[in-house]
Amino acid sequence: MELKRISRYVWAITAVVGVMSLMAYLYNHARAMQGSFTVLLENIVLATMSYYLLFFLFLLIIRYAILIFYSFMDHLEALYKGRKPTVGIYRDDSLLPMISLVVPAYNEGVVIQAAIRSLLLLDYPNYEILVIDDGSTDDTYEKAMAVAQEQDKIPVRVITKRNAGKAEALNTGMSVARGEFILNMDGDSKLSSNTLRACVRHFDDPSIGAVAGNVKVINRENIWSKIQALEYVEGLAMARKAQSFMRAVNIIPGPLGMFRKTVLKQVGGYDHDTFAEDCDLTLKMLMCGWHIAYEPTAVAWVETPSSLLNLLKQRYRWTRGILQATSKHSQALWQPRKAGVNCFILWYMLFEGIMWPFSTLLGNIFFAYVGIQYGLSTLLFLWWMQLTVLDVVAAAYCVVIEEEDPALIFYAVTFRLFYINIIDVSKVFATIEEWRGNTMTWGKLDREGKL
Amino acid sequence: MDLVSILATVILVTTIGTMIIGVGAYAAFKLRDKRKPKRKVTDELQGDKIINEPIFLKRYVPESISETSPDAS
Repeated sequence: MELKRISRYVWAITAVVGVMSLMAYLYNHARAMQGSFTVLLENIVLATMSYYLLFFLFLLIIRYAILIFYSFMDHLEALYKGRKPTVGIYRDDSLLPMISLVVPAYNEGVVIQAAIRSLLLLDYPNYEILVIDDGSTDDTYEKAMAVAQEQDKIPVRVITKRNAGKAEALNTGMSVARGEFILNMDGDSKLSSNTLRACVRHFDDPSIGAVAGNVKVINRENIWSKIQALEYVEGLAMARKAQSFMRAVNIIPGPLGMFRKTVLKQVGGYDHDTFAEDCDLTLKMLMCGWHIAYEPTAVAWVETPSSLLNLLKQRYRWTRGILQATSKHSQALWQPRKAGVNCFILWYMLFEGIMWPFSTLLGNIFFAYVGIQYGLSTLLFLWWMQLTVLDVVAAAYCVVIEEEDPALIFYAVTFRLFYINIIDVSKVFATIEEWRGNTMTWGKLDREGKL
Repeated sequence: MDLVSILATVILVTTIGTMIIGVGAYAAFKLRDKRKPKRKVTDELQGDKIINEPIFLKRYVPESISETSPDAS
């Protein structure tokens, strides 16, 4: 651990020395042009920043273009498959395998009954529900038991255990599950009725180890949750679909993921050493060579944070969790031949997790400085406009593909106007804290029971 | 003042404002997190004792077994 800490600081010192050497080199060049030191230094910094931001913008445009292209290809593939006659192992009702639904619940008393009741309505002939009460201090266990006792058709088992985190709860579910497939979800999710049938079809392909579901926001009540609804739509309809086309989905979302039980056991279930256990598990499966598919018609409706502080708490945990998971599998970053597409996935995650928030924040500070110092606020407007155009195009595409509410496109403007600035600040701080190795807690969100 | 200049000023003010709000909100979130009551006894302090405790607090006994068990009679 200490060695890791020292290595981090060595890297940081190397980076600082590198940047200073580059500055010294550029300064020598600038001196040749003659002028005062401060003017020269400012020139160098502004020029370097401009080139960096241009490079970042170029990467961003490429990213959007590739994701939209591959996502559209995946959409076409799904349409084509939909037209083909259905022949497969998991089609006939009598042959459908048993699926165990694992619902980890920690202080979900407000929503647990609605969640279980919605699971009892799923359109599938052979499944069981396992509620794992992770040592809740509220009445989650009693409420779950009440629904379980009402049931005589679909087996509902409620297991209570000492509080040890979501990963441990999901592992408990895996060990007691009777089904050939396991569907892991959150205690506060509500699934669409076709979920099990839609997901299980993907396992006709023996190389598929897991299926990631679609996640949508149910509590679209204020501007925060509406922008998050758009974020989810964009993240899934564009990024996840594109990844699915490459059979390399990088995160099986916590609210809805179906796994082969054998594969879950092969990779050792969920680990406890990251705060993004779903991302970590997905990376473990990818590293073992399993493919992961995405099923857009299997929808999990989730409640998102509707207040700013709760939202920051969630994003803080996600940012640090994803960085922890990426760091855990970082050996693949430097082995493109061996890791193949997984190497690309990890670099992409670093781009989204670190480079993107740092660069947009840097761009804002840079253009705000130029605007105030030189009265060139038009540059900031143009910078903002370019990013907003990308966001609006992506939002429009995703809304059409997902057949979502067109009003969401409007939120792409507010997303860029204030939302992402606030989130990026939090992401940058979270990254710095992760780098420094600050301790953190799980950060359980307070549920409002909107399901 | 033309439209672009007005929009540019609006964006400038909004950008600076939201970055300040971002820092403030982050500080508030951290402060709120710190002020939450902590566990009285952590798992680390309990050491081996907690590891030896059973994970399941209530033993799961299928109904068919509980009906025929000696305790039931």
